[in-house]
Amino acid sequence: MTSPPVIDVDRLDVKYGDFHAVRSLSFQVRRGEFYALLGTNGAGKTSTLETIEGHRVPTSGTVRVLGHSPADRAAVRPRMGIMLQESGFSPDLTVRESVRLIGELTQRTDRVERVLGIVDLTRKANTKVSHLSGGEKRRLDFATAVYGTPELVFLDEPTTGLDVQSRDALWDAVDKLREDGSTIVLTTHYLEEAQQRADRVGLMHRGTFHREGTVAELTRTLPAMIRFALPPSAPALPLPGKRESDGKFLIETHRLQKDMAVLLRWAEDHAVELQELQAGPTRLDDVFRAIDD
Amino acid sequence: MLSIARGELVQIFRNRSVLINSFVVPVAISAFFIYQHEVFAQLGSLGYIAAIVMFTVCAFGLYTSAVTTMASRRQNLFMKRLRSTAAGDAGILAGLVLPVTVIALVQVIVILTVLGVVTGMPDDIALLAVALLATVAMMVGLGLATAGLTNSPEHAQVTTLPVSLGVIAVASWVGISGTEDLALLKRLLPGGSATELVVNAWNGGVAVTDSLLLLAPTLAWVVVAVALAARLFRWEPRRTG
Repeated sequence: MTSPPVIDVDRLDVKYGDFHAVRSLSFQVRRGEFYALLGTNGAGKTSTLETIEGHRVPTSGTVRVLGHSPADRAAVRPRMGIMLQESGFSPDLTVRESVRLIGELTQRTDRVERVLGIVDLTRKANTKVSHLSGGEKRRLDFATAVYGTPELVFLDEPTTGLDVQSRDALWDAVDKLREDGSTIVLTTHYLEEAQQRADRVGLMHRGTFHREGTVAELTRTLPAMIRFALPPSAPALPLPGKRESDGKFLIETHRLQKDMAVLLRWAEDHAVELQELQAGPTRLDDVFRAIDD
Repeated sequence: MLSIARGELVQIFRNRSVLINSFVVPVAISAFFIYQHEVFAQLGSLGYIAAIVMFTVCAFGLYTSAVTTMASRRQNLFMKRLRSTAAGDAGILAGLVLPVTVIALVQVIVILTVLGVVTGMPDDIALLAVALLATVAMMVGLGLATAGLTNSPEHAQVTTLPVSLGVIAVASWVGISGTEDLALLKRLLPGGSATELVVNAWNGGVAVTDSLLLLAPTLAWVVVAVALAARLFRWEPRRTG
């Protein structure tokens, strides 16, 4: 038995005047899934996300969220939390007042102190928003998004400007939401975050999907990399490799384990030291870099 | 709506420049008119003083702060934040303008009460109340429309001038010179018929049915303002990128 998708986007187009931000995009997000929308700047991530959230109207195509039109705020918003890309809090209200106001307006029930605790802003509860740092504002935004533990949470670049501890704390909170069954939709510039956490990734480029799938599916198609530096006296390599601008050698391979063994044996036989040796599967970054190739 | 209004009220009292520009200045001007009421009554009538203090509060207090508030809440994306919740658009707008509206109403009522105590009670309080409510509705509507043309709170200092100075000028013109000549023009200008209505309600001597007809142009301006607002109002800052 499959439950209906939490998000169902069908041939979505978004245009601003002459600019075609999103082109015929279709995808679904299932209940409980962690879905990451990635892409270069101007790829159409935020336009897509804001259309799903209900901030923008599709030029054509349909979007359904939790079985409703995103424009039906009374039906969908009590069930979803939104962390916007830019904070949008009133500078003259305190942290506690901001969370209480936005929390009440979501129509969910929760305790202000609880969500402030999650983002470690309890000590700042009576501080005006104008006195918060950029990172603290991001945490305040996250606090309002998770107020009342909504079943669907949108995180638009959630960790921009956060230090390492805050970032870890935020992901811990997201993990807890997932344990409670929440569906997460993320956009981020930090590809590692998507690589580590996302069940599926939609990789956007010029308004449409360049690729979509699990992280493994996305990276599988690209070769793994072996990188090292060699002393000038070293004999010819046993494998085809290329010399990069920093003087290091790069070997691309679809048979990492086998080629690694060949390389190590060759180094052993010729008593060559492979300096700064690194080897690993393709990272999401490389998938990204490969977009324009 | 009420939680938004409560938040707005808190913000108004925390922001000293808004508080002074929008609420202290109109009261000071009104106090001057009441203090010099003999001079101004001779120039126009006591009804003229009632009209000019009402328009001073509605134009500089209500209208200007409504536009400034909207521009400011849009610029810092607070409106977008509110629209990320389950609150509907009408409820958000109502919550945003409710505190400045209530403050303006209270200000006008207090100032007119003082005027009444100093100079004698108005002829028809009910009619005066109707005139006040119609004027407030018109100014809020014009405020929403003007907010659509205003990019920032600073910009509001410019964009609000035509309407605020305009209605004050119309109120002074109609209040001092009456509507014996150019009656149609004076009544059709924004604030013109509302001024005449206030003057009639305060001074008396005009049949109520005749006065009630004067509501029509003011209510027409409410409709025009709302139609303009529906076309011009924006919830988010213009995209720059």
